[in-house]
Formats: sequence, C-alpha cells, structure tokens
Amino acid sequence: MKNFSPDIYKDPTLVARLKQRIAELAQEFKEPVKIMHICGTHEHEMGRYGLRDLLPDNVEVLAGPGCPVCVCDTEYIDQAIQLALSPEVILTSFGDMLAVPGSIPLKGERKGDVRMSLLDAKARGGDVRAVYSVFDAAKLAQANPKKQVVFFSAGFETTVVAVAALLKRGAPDNFFIIEANYFTPPATHLLPELEGFDVNGFLLPGHASAITGIRIYEHLPDYGIACASAGFDPVDVLAGIASVLRQLVENKPGLENTYGRVIQYDGNRKALAELDEVFARSSKRWRGIADIPESGFQLKGKYRRYSTEERFAEVLADPPERSVNEHPKGCRCAEITLGLARPDDCPVFDKLCTPDNPYGPCMVSHEGTCRAWYIYGMGKERIHVEV
Amino acid sequence: MSRYERIRMSHGSGGKLTLELIEDLFAATFASAPLKELCDAAVLDNPGGRLAFATDSHSIKPLFFPGGDIGRLAVAGTVNDLSVMGAKPVYLSSAFILEEGFPIAELTKIVRSMKATADEAGIEIVTGDTKVVEKGKGDGIFINTTGLGFIPDGLKIGPQHVRPGDVLLVSGSIGDHGIAVMSQREGFEITLELKSDVAPLNGLIETVLAAAPNIRFMRDVTRGGLAAVANEMVMRKPFGVRIFDAKVPLHHDVVEYSEMLGIDPLLSANEGKVVLAAPPNEVEAALAAMHSHPLGQQAAIVGDVVKKPEGRAIVETAYGSRRMLEMPIEEQLPRIC
Ligand code: SF4
Repeated sequence: MKNFSPDIYKDPTLVARLKQRIAELAQEFKEPVKIMHICGTHEHEMGRYGLRDLLPDNVEVLAGPGCPVCVCDTEYIDQAIQLALSPEVILTSFGDMLAVPGSIPLKGERKGDVRMSLLDAKARGGDVRAVYSVFDAAKLAQANPKKQVVFFSAGFETTVVAVAALLKRGAPDNFFIIEANYFTPPATHLLPELEGFDVNGFLLPGHASAITGIRIYEHLPDYGIACASAGFDPVDVLAGIASVLRQLVENKPGLENTYGRVIQYDGNRKALAELDEVFARSSKRWRGIADIPESGFQLKGKYRRYSTEERFAEVLADPPERSVNEHPKGCRCAEITLGLARPDDCPVFDKLCTPDNPYGPCMVSHEGTCRAWYIYGMGKERIHVEV
Repeated sequence: MSRYERIRMSHGSGGKLTLELIEDLFAATFASAPLKELCDAAVLDNPGGRLAFATDSHSIKPLFFPGGDIGRLAVAGTVNDLSVMGAKPVYLSSAFILEEGFPIAELTKIVRSMKATADEAGIEIVTGDTKVVEKGKGDGIFINTTGLGFIPDGLKIGPQHVRPGDVLLVSGSIGDHGIAVMSQREGFEITLELKSDVAPLNGLIETVLAAAPNIRFMRDVTRGGLAAVANEMVMRKPFGVRIFDAKVPLHHDVVEYSEMLGIDPLLSANEGKVVLAAPPNEVEAALAAMHSHPLGQQAAIVGDVVKKPEGRAIVETAYGSRRMLEMPIEEQLPRIC
C-alpha cells in the first residue's frame, strides 16, 4: 500500500524547493517570461498536478504543438473513416483518435460545422476497434486472415518506433498502416520563425526526445530561446522550468538535459537505425498549420507494401466529399496548437465544445490542450476554495 | 442437466430443460425456501417499515477475474446499492440471459459464487428467470439482480443532507477492481498482486451506521471511481468537495499500472468500497468502526465538503496546488503517448 508520490520525482519536499527556486529566479525578470512545452503529456501533467498553481505570476507555461492527435491531417482521418466503412476492413486505432472529427461533413446530427469521426463510422456499421498498440493490431490480423486489418498509425516518434520494430520483424500479409506518424523537431524549428511568436524558453519533449536525442535542437538557442528537455513528474517539469529560467537570468540560452535518466544527447541509436530502415522522412501537413518538410514518416522500399495507400489505392482514389476548412468553423485549435491562443480564448470552449461532444480535435485527446484545460479546470485563475 | 455440457436454446424454452436447469442448478444451489417452491413469484415476509428496492444488470469481460467473477459482482453490486441507502438487504432476484453454447461448468461456478456471496452478505436469492439467446447474440452470460432491503427508522442519508464542513471518508484502497480487470483484458494479460475488491458491503456499512448514525451521504464506488461519486454528491448543490489526493489509499499495483497506462486512479472502478460524508462530530467514530471491520482496514479520511467552488469536485495535491476532478466521461482507455 502506497499513497501518491511513489518516488522522488513526485516528492513534495523537492517540489517545494523547486517552487522556491523558480520564485527566486522569476524575481530577476521585469517582463513576463513565456515557456513553451511541445508535448501533450506535459500539458496533461501540468493539469493533473496543478503545476501552474506553483509558478509565480510572471512565469507562464504555454502548450505548443505536442498533441499528435490534434495535428494529424484530416486526410488521414478521412482515409481511416473511408476504409473503416469498407466491409473487408477492420480498422484499428488508438482510443484517442476515435472521436477526432476529420473533414467529411456530418449533416444534421449536432450543432455547428460537424464532421465525421471514426466513432461515427462505427455507428454506421464500420468495424472500428481500439487497440493499445500496433502489436495488438497485428495479432488481430493474424486472427482474422479473411479480413484486411488496418492500423491507424498516428503519433510522434515514440509510437512509430514500435511500428518500425514490428514491420522489420514481419507482419501478416493482411496488415496495413495509415502513415500518419509525425516527426516533431522540424515543427519546433518552424516556431521561432512564426509571426507573433514570442517565447523565451522551450521545454523539449520527454518521450520523443528519448528517441531523437536533443542534438537536433542545438540551433534553437541561436534565436535567444533557452531550452531544457524535461520529464513528466512534477519534479521533472519544475526542474526543466528552473533550468530555462536560470539560463535566461544568466543570459546564456543553451540546451540542457534535465531528464538525463531517460534522454541521451544523441538519442536511442538502435531505435533510430530501425526507424530509418523502415521509414523515410517526408513532408507532411500539420493540421491547420502548414506543410512541414521532413516532418513525417513514410514507409520506404519493401515496406511500402504495408501502406494503405498502396493496398487501397483504388478505394482511396474515390474519396467522399470533404470540407475545405481543416478545422471546423470557429475552432481555434490551430492557434492554440502554436501557443498563439489559449483554450479559454475560444468562444465555444466549455459550451458547444466539451469532451463528451468535441467540436475540434484539441478537445478529443488527453494530450489536447483544450481537453486538458477542461477536465482539470485550468484557466486564468487558481481555483478558489472557501471552507 | 449434467446430460449437457453447454447451454442449448431449449434451456430457455420454458420446457423440460429449463425446469432441469432451475431445479438442479439454481434452486439447488441458492437453496432458499421460496425458490424451492418453483412458483411464479416469491412470497416474502415483510418486517414493516420503509423498503429499498434496487436493480442492476451485469456484464463483464473476462467473466472470471482476479478476486471475483460475474456472479459475485452481480450479488455484491445490488447488495451494495441497497446498503448505501442505509437499507438492510434481505432478498435478491436473479435473472440470467445465457448465450447458446455457454459451458454449463462455467455457469455452475458462477451460480455457486453467487450463493457464496449471498451467504457472506446474509441474504437470500428467492426468485429468478432464465432466457437463452442464440449463439453470437450475447456475451456468454448477463446477470440481472434485483434486491429488496428494509430501512431502519431515523436514517437521513442523501446528498441533500450534506453540509460544508462534513468530512469525506473511504473504506479502503481506490481503483482496485478497474485495474485488476483491465490487467486481464485482451492484449495485457499481466499478472498483478492486486485483486478486485468486489465484496458485499452491508456488514461494513451496518457497523459504521451503528457507530455513526448521522452519516449524511454514502455511495459505493463503482464505474467512474471516486471521481464519479464525488461529483454526484455535489452536482447542482450549493457546496463542493475537495479531495486530498495524497490521502487517498492506493494499492501499489494501482499506482504503477495506472501510471504506466496514463490513467487517473481516482477514475478507476471499485466494487467493494464505500465513500461517505460524516458530520465532523462523527468522523472519529465512523473511521474507528470501519477499521474494526475486515473490509475497512485501510479506511481513511480523504477530503472535506467546502462552500466553494459550488457544485464541483476538486483535488488538492500534496504540493498545495489545485485541479478540477472531472466527472468521468468515458471508459478509461490507454493513451497514445
Ligand atoms: S475549445 Fe478547442 S477544440 Fe473546441 S472548438 Fe475551441 S479551439 Fe477547437
């Protein structure tokens, strides 16, 4: 029997010390300091542990493009829906993707510019199943040799590594993937070039950097942005923030690894080599943001036979009617994803758009900023308690 | 009955095989006087007073899981629904929907488990029903149980009686059932020390009410976990509830496994824990009473009722920070990252 805080990375005494340290460092700044993280899990943990409560008023932590579900291009979602509705297909997906609206209009069901999600496809008879990993999807293919099993391979570096490992070892002949895997560093590189982007520091992703390492971020400090890779427990997150602030106070923006127990400077070479064998980097559309060169993973060489684009080329050549706007009308996910707006800036947040009836993608995934803000009650003020 | 190994459509036809199933398995195992009569309705003694009446249907995958099975769940679930209203559960009905082909050996195990749980709770299963659906049209077995209980005079239990300043207690570790069952699901099948906590709580609750008769609110923790109970207690009420997450008792397997899967243990299910709100002057008595009972060894104070925020459940962390505790939206699913 244990209570919360099973290890030192959740230790309240350490957290209190870091809080103190951050407060001291923050006193050195006349202007507000903005730190952006680029990992949905960071936002989720910020909410779960109420970490914004522990920061001084002049230190703001913003959520960046760290939610794979939110940036997944509508084309892949629509493709998944289309395939799910083919009788020969069992469509498997992480649970997080199921309720994400794509761009196929869904008329007359709910209010607003409503789009179809995989759940809607399921309700229309599609065989859609949530799986926990790509390996479960492959097992399903083995158990259903007469069906075509499609795995909606959404996610960042972290999840695509498992896909590479599986395909390299060989997957069943009736197993295919939708190549919706994104590579985060090119998007991060794009941020400082954006108009209106004024961020003083980055918390680099924890999971993704365990694969890629952080050398690839070496040029970010050239923009005057202080960087620290950070883990996810409260001590990790606060240590990352303290590192960024210290670098800024010393006026030496650099690249620090505060998550050394998981991240190596050059990443996980074995995983990277496997990744490179199976996937090539390609340009990908980040939903509502931009086409970003080199930011996606595409099957290469002999592995292309696992691509839905190869196997289902005929079906996919005849797509259903799609809306031209990537996000539903009025949804501000794109700005929120870039840290240019906050969920409570969106007029339909907590009104038309809630987790049980999501209007935009950022309200669907646990990594989504809108959802995290909704379920953990994050906002401009600390929650007021009166006993 | 032993002539067949599996359920056939005729087991639900109302004919000979149905009768065999009822006499040889259900009536023989449950062994209650009304059931042995094989009448269309059980005729029961009525001790007078107010009645509590509850029904619940049960389906679960897998049917047998560490710490219990669907039979134990079906009995304990309804017993607990009655008990948290302050009622003493007395009678239960049990209706089965069986899928053609369901192994009778498994059914027998489940029925025996129901009887054992009923004995543990001190109640009788007095009437029942059996239907058989075609293969592919059911998930093996569904069980509906309906229960009757009698409410002693003088109890005032319900969210409308809760007041700011009341103290929130739980009878033990949170999230056990949800995590234990999830660990057995397809694709995981890992072995944990953890077992489901499924158990009838009427004994524990009777002990608590004897020591602390002014308990204001009670609810057994089921799907949606502690988060659902906390939210139900304050929903649309002029008060809120604050939970101190560091005080919530958690089994180490629940801590580790939910961490691994990115699941909030406060949203994970139990089937043998009760949450209650006690007025300040009865907190000690309620806690001591729970500690004196085998099912309440790890009982703890986990929070309090606050004036603000109204209608909301919040968590105060070990760090002094705060967050909302959501009303669970969907079944807890592992996340991408
Ligand atoms: S609340 Fe978020 S997800 Fe919902 S519509 Fe607004 S920006 Fe989009």
